[in-house]
Amino acid sequence: MFLWTVPVAGCGGVQSALDPAGGDAWDLYRLTIVMTVGATLIFVFVTALLLYAVFAPPERRAWLGTRRTIVYGGLAFPIVVLSLLLPYGLVVMRDTDVPQPGALQIEVTGEQYWWRVRYPAEGDQAEFSTANELIVPIGRPITVSVTAADVIHSFWIPNLGGKIDMIPGRINRFNFTAERPGLYRGICAEFCGAQHARMAFDVMVLEPTEFEVWRQSQAQPAQEPAIPHLARGRDLFRAGGCGSCHMVRGTEANGQFGPDLTHVGSRRTIGAGQFPNNVGTLAGWIANVQQIKPGAKMPSYGSLTGEDLRAMAGYLESLK
Amino acid sequence: MNAPELPKSFERQEAELPNPLPRPEGEFEALKKAWKAPRGLSFITAVNNTYVGLWYVGTAFLFFILAGILALIMRVQLAAPESDFVSHDLYNQLFTMHGTVMMFLFAVPAVEAASVYLLPNMQAARDLPFPRLSAYAFWAYFVGGLVFFGTIFVGLSPDGGWFMYPPLTSTKYSPAENADWWLLGIGFIEISAIAGAIEIIVGVMKTRAVGMSLDKLPVYSWAMLVFAVMIVIGFPAIILGTLLLEMERAFDWPFFIAERGGDPLLWQHLFWFFGHPEVYIIFLPATGMVSMIVPAMAQTPLVGYRLVVLALIATGFLSFGLWVHHMFATGLPKMSLSFFSAASTAVAVPSGIQVFAWIATIASGRMRLTTPSLFVIGFLFIFTLGGLTGVMVAMAPFDWQAHDSYFVVAHLHYVLIGGMVFPLFAAIYYWVPVASKRALSERLGRWVFGLMFLGVNVTFLPMHITGLIGMPRRVYTYPVGMGWDALNLVSTIGAFMIAAGVAVFLFDMARNFRFASEDNAGNVWNAGTLEWLPNGNYATRSIPSVVSRDPLWDQPNLPKDVEDGRYYLPGTATGGREALVTSPFDARPQYILQIPGPGWQPVLAAVFTAAFFLLLTVKFVFTSIICGVLAVGCVIWWLWETDPGPVRPPADIGGGIVIPVYVTGPMNHSWWAMIVLMVVSGMVFTCLIFSYLFLWLVNPGAWPPRGVELPQWIWPSLSTVLYVGSAILIARASWLLKGDDRRSPRSVPILIGAAMLLLAGASAIDLRAQWQAGLSPSAHAYGAAVYAILSLQIFFVLTTLIMGLYTIARWLAGKLDSVRRTTFDNSMLFWYYTVGQGLAGLLMIHGFPRLTGGA
Amino acid sequence: MTGRRTAQVCLTLGGLIAWAIQFTIIYGVTSTLCGRGWADTALLGMGAVQITILLATLTALAAAAILLIVSLRQERQQRDHPASATDTFLNESGVLINGLSLVVILWHGVPAVILPACA
Repeated sequence: MFLWTVPVAGCGGVQSALDPAGGDAWDLYRLTIVMTVGATLIFVFVTALLLYAVFAPPERRAWLGTRRTIVYGGLAFPIVVLSLLLPYGLVVMRDTDVPQPGALQIEVTGEQYWWRVRYPAEGDQAEFSTANELIVPIGRPITVSVTAADVIHSFWIPNLGGKIDMIPGRINRFNFTAERPGLYRGICAEFCGAQHARMAFDVMVLEPTEFEVWRQSQAQPAQEPAIPHLARGRDLFRAGGCGSCHMVRGTEANGQFGPDLTHVGSRRTIGAGQFPNNVGTLAGWIANVQQIKPGAKMPSYGSLTGEDLRAMAGYLESLK
Repeated sequence: MNAPELPKSFERQEAELPNPLPRPEGEFEALKKAWKAPRGLSFITAVNNTYVGLWYVGTAFLFFILAGILALIMRVQLAAPESDFVSHDLYNQLFTMHGTVMMFLFAVPAVEAASVYLLPNMQAARDLPFPRLSAYAFWAYFVGGLVFFGTIFVGLSPDGGWFMYPPLTSTKYSPAENADWWLLGIGFIEISAIAGAIEIIVGVMKTRAVGMSLDKLPVYSWAMLVFAVMIVIGFPAIILGTLLLEMERAFDWPFFIAERGGDPLLWQHLFWFFGHPEVYIIFLPATGMVSMIVPAMAQTPLVGYRLVVLALIATGFLSFGLWVHHMFATGLPKMSLSFFSAASTAVAVPSGIQVFAWIATIASGRMRLTTPSLFVIGFLFIFTLGGLTGVMVAMAPFDWQAHDSYFVVAHLHYVLIGGMVFPLFAAIYYWVPVASKRALSERLGRWVFGLMFLGVNVTFLPMHITGLIGMPRRVYTYPVGMGWDALNLVSTIGAFMIAAGVAVFLFDMARNFRFASEDNAGNVWNAGTLEWLPNGNYATRSIPSVVSRDPLWDQPNLPKDVEDGRYYLPGTATGGREALVTSPFDARPQYILQIPGPGWQPVLAAVFTAAFFLLLTVKFVFTSIICGVLAVGCVIWWLWETDPGPVRPPADIGGGIVIPVYVTGPMNHSWWAMIVLMVVSGMVFTCLIFSYLFLWLVNPGAWPPRGVELPQWIWPSLSTVLYVGSAILIARASWLLKGDDRRSPRSVPILIGAAMLLLAGASAIDLRAQWQAGLSPSAHAYGAAVYAILSLQIFFVLTTLIMGLYTIARWLAGKLDSVRRTTFDNSMLFWYYTVGQGLAGLLMIHGFPRLTGGA
Repeated sequence: MTGRRTAQVCLTLGGLIAWAIQFTIIYGVTSTLCGRGWADTALLGMGAVQITILLATLTALAAAAILLIVSLRQERQQRDHPASATDTFLNESGVLINGLSLVVILWHGVPAVILPACA
């Protein structure tokens, strides 16, 4: 499918604040560079002065040993530098993370230890839910409204801007515009319990037309199984009670507790950004969740036979 | 201010010394006898600041090593991606305990412990003004800290991070006792820190060498004064926070539960209002140490003394305007964030002042490259870097990226290791000759420094990058292929270099440290301050009079004259332990303070206090309460021996100065301590009022929530009358208890008894009124907040009632009269405070909702 | 502690106390107005938040400036009539502290002219 044709960004760059892919992220990056260079210069200067004070011959360094040094170096110099830096920092703060009219609205809820993602209805486009992935069009302002269902999480896509906390009872907003297509990675940045380390999500920046295609396909109900093997998987899914936690639109599975699986096969990864999505990993996940991600809410279904497991995983994988 | 290259000599006439030679026979023996340390098993009842101080420093260092080992385990786990050296469960306990133990059981106690040891010596005081209080603080910390640490071996350690954010730490998401260990364990260690802070404030202000006016106070004393005031202001916030969270966990009062009107952010405000100043609380004492070490090593007075003092004070103030910079990502309005950005940049200025003051001092003298000097230079290097990244994260937009990433891990370790651990090692190498028969090895010291300095930079410098390329904090593992592998491996190698440095240090200590109370190694660095005077258990033989900041340089005969007993109070006036109390500004002798000696009371009181909290944690409620009662009993037993009264007429301490051995009123040291305690209590209450207002702010239209009726006006009015009435009765008793004739009228205990009834009645009426009105503490945050204010008030009323009973008991025992009335004065001050707090609480609970009309 | 000493300490620390009060007011008012949605009230073409910050900043600046002038004047007097070392010390510290406070207070007013009230 088209998702796999998107060029994957450089290996180290999918989750890096030093590889900005949006306007705000560029502003933050510029601020980072300016401050890093400034701090380095000041650091070298202070260290040189210190070594000079220790090692220079006493008569050469005498000028340094007075109160004047403190007044100029410790009082006047920082005041001047900081008087310039503070307004610069405030201006960057004013100009980044600003809500834009006509922005695409997305709602993300942090849960232990995954992301519930909802695209509200817009124009003719029906609403739909997905999980653990954020697909956005290039060039259009985005507003992500975030909150948490249980404990505090934090929403952070380093390539696209800063982080924003997801706090139960509060709705925070994070605004950005992606300017470079590609695959990025977001993570939870606030410690949220046992599996905080395994709570990530994929971010895909698409061309607007590709995005529309994706969005329309996501709003569709799930595909009917095409072959008996997959139909068997669906039946097992139904019989196993999976639908009490998971939603598969178009079937009777309407659980709200776990991720919406209507198009789970179209996602790049499973387990909140942990493993590539294929029949093998899906089967492993179903049978061994509690070994792979102990503390996740889903129990392991280790009693399924190998064949049943393959059928169920195959069915899920077919939900493109 | 150009300092002379060599200490100038200070000519002084023999006749000017206050006490003539030869000293009377038996004077020195009596002094030694009074200060003799207990032997055998009772050794642990010693209260001398030199003994308690060393145990205290040693215990703090033990926790440094233990928490360091936890860090090594974490670094092994993170050395490679997807490692399973430890489980996620253990890892989460490890990082929680590493932070908690380093902050609460190492850093704060270590600097407080060092000052218990150093402060009296530096000010030539015989001891701290409340030696038993320091012993109590130490033992509570020792017992409680070790048990708390022990939880890691049974998997019961807290695992919600050292910041303990609810709702993750609330009952719903952390039902096990792990979180309670943190809340109760840390709660009383904070109380121990506050006890120490009270001691330090009174110690700095009231027990100094004669003539050591504020302008001649050692910079270290200034630093400790600011430190202690910051504890008094900052720690109450976390004490209140832990109380609220524990009440939520134990009784389901929803302070932090959003569905019932609470707000998780309230905890963050309370935690960081303590948590940020905390960083400066441990940094300032370290800079105070550096300001003592640098002049000694460069053999020249500190350049810019006033600027350094300004820096300490300004840091103390500004550090309370920084707390929200830990909350830059919580979604508060940008305008609110910007104030904290401004304060966070502002606080860089005082740090700059201090750094340049040390550079200037080094330049004006001749820096000897000893081990303490190396650690100071290493400190300047590491701390400057950490300070600069601190300015970077002060800019909110940058922090949105850096926050909770490894960049912040790098930053905080640079400032804390640079700003506190390196100065502490410098201090140990510098001051060991005061406490030990031998100095530590200079050769080994260089190895310690080299390994630690390289280790710190190898460990933490790469983390700046690791964080910016996306690695978040507090993850037990990370995926392959993120580009973090090599950087993490380097960090792990660095961590083991630090460990190697610490190991060499331990070897050095084992080889060279030999405890000395009399025959220490002496002034090996030719330093200029008073802790280098010849010392015994009694501290200095006589209390010197000083004329400069570096008395040992400017008064060359000082050590000998002090040791010969030619200065003030060369013996003991009352036959017991004494300290000379001086005026807070000019350090003129005011009176002779009779201080208590060794005793089991503080040890037992501490053990029972610790047992009370620890047993409460594991829900042994009944046993716990018994221990609590025993703890209060031990404290009363201990207090019973204090307030000795004027046991003899005013005594001559030399130079024609005749001062009393007992005073009451605002000159008295315990009056000061009581004032400080009231400030602590007032801060707890202020934080509670802030919490109430904060919860109001997040509950528009529900204050009180629908269906909740406020009690009728009549009830709070009645409470008010009773509160004021009880205060009037106490004032009347105080008035009756005046006069030099040691009168002790019968009406005093009757008035106190009546005042107790009124006080108890006032709080009971208010509680009953809310209960009758049907207010539930667990239905909504409003009720929780109201009952929290009431509970705090009832706690204070109960404490006041115990003090009232105690005061009556003193009267019955004939230990209370119009001259010997310190006990009464202390109870009176606390009484007024309790009444004041009660009235403010009434105004808030009943007035505020009416004022805002339920909005 | 006599009344004279208390006054002296207040003079020495006055600038920082002024900052603390300014800080409490601007943070408290901003949080309350934004938290309750009352920030739209405008006066003289400026939002209530901005006005509060500017007024609090100007008042605190004036207070710190006055304290600075008093400290400077006392310092000059002491040069002519030598006072006790403690007095001189407190005064000179007052000059430094009040001077530094001016800068700090000013920095806290800067956001009002750059940032929107409650975004």
